Amino acid sequence: MTHLQNAVAVDGLTKYYGKLLAVDRIDFDVEQGSIFGLLGPNGAGKSTTVGMLAGLTKPSAGKAIVLGFDVTHETIRAKQQIGMVPELSNVYDEMTALENLVFAGQLYGVPRKEIRSRAKELLEIFGLSNRATDLVGALSKGMKRRLTIACALIHKPKLLFLDEPTTGLDVQSARLVRELIRRLNKDGVTVFLTTHYIEEADQLCEQIAIINRGKIVALGSPEKLKARIKGVKVIEVSFSKTLANMEGELQHISGVDEIHTFGDEFRVFAKESADIVADLVDYARTRGLAVNSINTVKPSLEEAFIKITGLDSEIMMSEKERIKPERGGRSGNELG
Amino acid sequence: MGTNWVDILIKAFYIAKKDAKVYYFKAPNLTYGLLMPVSLFLAFSIAGQINPRLIASGLTSLVILFGTTSIEAVAIVLEKQTGTFERLLAAPVSFFTLLLGKALSGFLFGLVIATVILVPFASVSETAVANPLLVFIAIAFSSLTFSALGVLVSAYANWVPEAQMLSNFLRFPMAFLSGTFVPLELMPSHLEVVARFLPLTYSVEALRTSMTDSAITPAYLLDILALGLFSFAFLAIAAKVLQKRID
Repeated sequence: MTHLQNAVAVDGLTKYYGKLLAVDRIDFDVEQGSIFGLLGPNGAGKSTTVGMLAGLTKPSAGKAIVLGFDVTHETIRAKQQIGMVPELSNVYDEMTALENLVFAGQLYGVPRKEIRSRAKELLEIFGLSNRATDLVGALSKGMKRRLTIACALIHKPKLLFLDEPTTGLDVQSARLVRELIRRLNKDGVTVFLTTHYIEEADQLCEQIAIINRGKIVALGSPEKLKARIKGVKVIEVSFSKTLANMEGELQHISGVDEIHTFGDEFRVFAKESADIVADLVDYARTRGLAVNSINTVKPSLEEAFIKITGLDSEIMMSEKERIKPERGGRSGNELG
Repeated sequence: MGTNWVDILIKAFYIAKKDAKVYYFKAPNLTYGLLMPVSLFLAFSIAGQINPRLIASGLTSLVILFGTTSIEAVAIVLEKQTGTFERLLAAPVSFFTLLLGKALSGFLFGLVIATVILVPFASVSETAVANPLLVFIAIAFSSLTFSALGVLVSAYANWVPEAQMLSNFLRFPMAFLSGTFVPLELMPSHLEVVARFLPLTYSVEALRTSMTDSAITPAYLLDILALGLFSFAFLAIAAKVLQKRID
């Protein structure tokens, strides 16, 4: 056991799937008791990184120490200390909520005498007490998600991995899950979160690593990441009409760095010193257009993300929603 | 730290218990596990007026083969599809424990359905069982072997239909080539050689021997040893295949 000051210490971690380089020599530390977010688009290497840290898959190279245990050589001991919540809820539909928790407790070696009381306590905390003896197949998506998180907590882990914890949930369930994450962290659990919701990472995380194409491209607190685009002014503007090649024309305004288009709205990145608002109004006048709305906005984590990765933040959202598979039904009666 | 076998067995038992609940002891599964081999066997044996002991051993072996592999072959595939396999992988259990648990559920299912078939059959046909303990051991080893075979199929397959096709590809030729319907000595010599590579042959032989002979014979011991080796080999290969796929 080493590196006790950090819950996670990653050094040159690399993963190849055949010839495909999924994670490319990444390094970062996660402080004990913090909420750490791994942010990146689909296919960036987030789940593979979590898979390696949780001992699900072996790294091709590099080292990861989780709660003092080398995940490659002391996998089982590391697993005993961590809870893992994958992107898709993975509870057994054919078992009741209580049975799922008890089974999780048995796998993690929770003493027999304690399993049931601990399971009931978690059902209470997660608002599932009244559904304890219902088959999980009959529960809503949000309830299954909460149960999946509860199962990962049955052995009181010191570190909890949450892979896209709110993906696919309705607003109320997502808020509840975020609240639970905060509460767990307050109780001393280190949370390692992967998400494609930039706002979620901004709200929850103390430290964020942005991963793109298997590489960590930025690391720091949300404030620190936002500060990376300090000196940049962001203006959202929309006009009465959208003309052909408008983006190209706006790009030629002096001081404009970059333009991003979102529907009929333009997000203009410019140097802080430039008088862009006046120039945009002038541009509209010369082109015979009216300015529908114009706002100067404070650079957000989303803007920082766009600047750092060069990706459109919407890509993260739409790709995830598109590829999100429907869980296959399991009857238990499929015979061969 | 040495291997904690008690912990391994306890956790394997919990996995088996969960599998029994989720996959095995359901009416359609029980019906299929019993009906398929019984129908198959009756179709081939009634006209031939085979000795009831031959029927009992062949039928019991077939029931175990079909009963265990039918579910075992798809159990891991289903878990992979629904994401629950990841939950097992995330738990502090070794890969060996996980597969042992999977095989154990098939093993217990095999014991139950073999008993369900053999006891009434022996009573009705007034077939004397020479040594019930040896019969039980033969059933236990057969159940373990075919359950491990199911785990191996499940490790290779990505989808349920693929697992079903693979297991049928193995089961049906085995059913006809292992002395189940026709004693090995009546088969052409080249097919007898093929039969020696099939685990069902040793299951049928072990059951047949223990039903006719109350003493432990070298032939019986060889059959049990062969079944043990097949079980180990199937589980070891399954572990390698799954580990490779995960990594």
